[in-house]
Amino acid sequence: MSATVLLAIDVSNTQTVLGVYEGKMLRQHWRLQTHSARTADEYGVLVGSLLAGAGNPVVGGIAVSSSVPPMTQVIETLCRRYMGVAPMFVGPGIRTGMPILYDKPQEVSADRIVNAIAAYERSHAATIVVDCSTATIFDYVSDKGEYVGGVIAPGLGIASDALFERTAKLYRVELVKPKHVIGRNTVHAIQSGLIYGYVSLVDGLVTRIQRETRAKARVIATGGFAPLLAPESETIEEVDEFLTLDGLRLIYERNTQE
Amino acid sequence: MLLAIDVGNTHTVFGLYAGDQLRHHWRLETDRGRTVDEYGVLLRHLFAGVGSPMIDGIAVSSVVPPTTQVVESWCQTYLGVAPLIVGPGVRTGMPILYDDPQQVGSDRVANAVAAYELTRDATIVVDCGTATKLEYVTQKGEYIGGVIAPGLGIASDALFERAARLYRVELARPKHVVGRNTVQTIQSGLIYGYVSLIDGLVLRMQKEIGMRARVIATGGFATLLAPESDTIDEVAEFLTLDGLRLIYDRNSGQ
Repeated sequence: MSATVLLAIDVSNTQTVLGVYEGKMLRQHWRLQTHSARTADEYGVLVGSLLAGAGNPVVGGIAVSSSVPPMTQVIETLCRRYMGVAPMFVGPGIRTGMPILYDKPQEVSADRIVNAIAAYERSHAATIVVDCSTATIFDYVSDKGEYVGGVIAPGLGIASDALFERTAKLYRVELVKPKHVIGRNTVHAIQSGLIYGYVSLVDGLVTRIQRETRAKARVIATGGFAPLLAPESETIEEVDEFLTLDGLRLIYERNTQE
Repeated sequence: MLLAIDVGNTHTVFGLYAGDQLRHHWRLETDRGRTVDEYGVLLRHLFAGVGSPMIDGIAVSSVVPPTTQVVESWCQTYLGVAPLIVGPGVRTGMPILYDDPQQVGSDRVANAVAAYELTRDATIVVDCGTATKLEYVTQKGEYIGGVIAPGLGIASDALFERAARLYRVELARPKHVVGRNTVQTIQSGLIYGYVSLIDGLVLRMQKEIGMRARVIATGGFATLLAPESDTIDEVAEFLTLDGLRLIYDRNSGQ
């Protein structure tokens, strides 16, 4: 890999995903813990070593989406000091090519816009994005490609942590689908509540969004829990693990190609 | 009078029954550090407000083991009554078909007993408390099992604690499902999200058992969620207390 590459960085509350793009092709991707106390030098060692493992490509550009404000300075320093590149942060002032119909457009977090752009690029039709991560975030894009708004619910991981931390007698279980909905022991009862409960939450919200918008919008899921939930869901049509990275690449192109 | 005490993970509810009539009820925080004497002062005060009635029986359900002991010794010390603590060995009148019957929380059994008493038919109970717990009771009144999901309150707390840019919102139903600002967006996810979680689980349970069992909801969030739900038939706010009264009667009336 000797060509100039684009580095896309998606900083979310639990993990940070890095993707190396050569043109439109995602060549490499890595996942690091998001830890706002970690310094730019520590991330520098990690990212430098990962890039070396990928043949030390020349990083010609960096696009970042961050939903964790304290990480912004860390990433900025990391990019400038260790890659010699000023990163482009998705936010106010960046051209996205998508009208934002939110009450206060600057209130929509970067990852949601980025997901919406990548999803609309695929379908060019009304689309619902479901991001199953720390939070479960739904975004609705109209058939004209306008970002209209969405829904934010607690994510499967943090809600299940809360169940074990805040009750005296319940304990952590493996996140797998139980044989029956009605559990006859505590492990199965909790597995059913987490898996079928969250699938129901996603399907119910998607159905309500479709009813309200009167559009049979396409449904694309992404995020860490998407592969676990999608097989049981009646509304998710497609899972794309790298939707956010792809959106970052698209926004980078739209801001640099003219 | 009979005192029914339901110790949940977040709140403890006290109910005073004259016969099968709930005359008074109170809700206190379940604080594991609270002492027997503190309970003594609090409850003496609350009871005094309703004429310090004579209490000759007590039934307790607790899902918080350290608090069970405190409540038990408060009953002995301050009321001079040995409480009936629902658990293994207590007659419920309901066959428990769980893999290990001792594993079912006493609140779940009390809910199932009270709900079946209301319907005498196949029933699903939805308890919207700290956890969201669903139970299935057959037409013949057997407890089969159920589902346990995170509750609305703890899941929303987790959202604000763990997501850097989100903040606590008032738990109210927004005008639209698709929110156009952060407050509406979160309200929609909490209210419509949780209603969807409950309705979806109920429908899956009904599909699995092959019939449309009656659905009774209880717990702190039931009144908030039930109006939006397509599956909840009825809200019974004091279902757990009622179950405790029934179990007490079944253990003392022979």
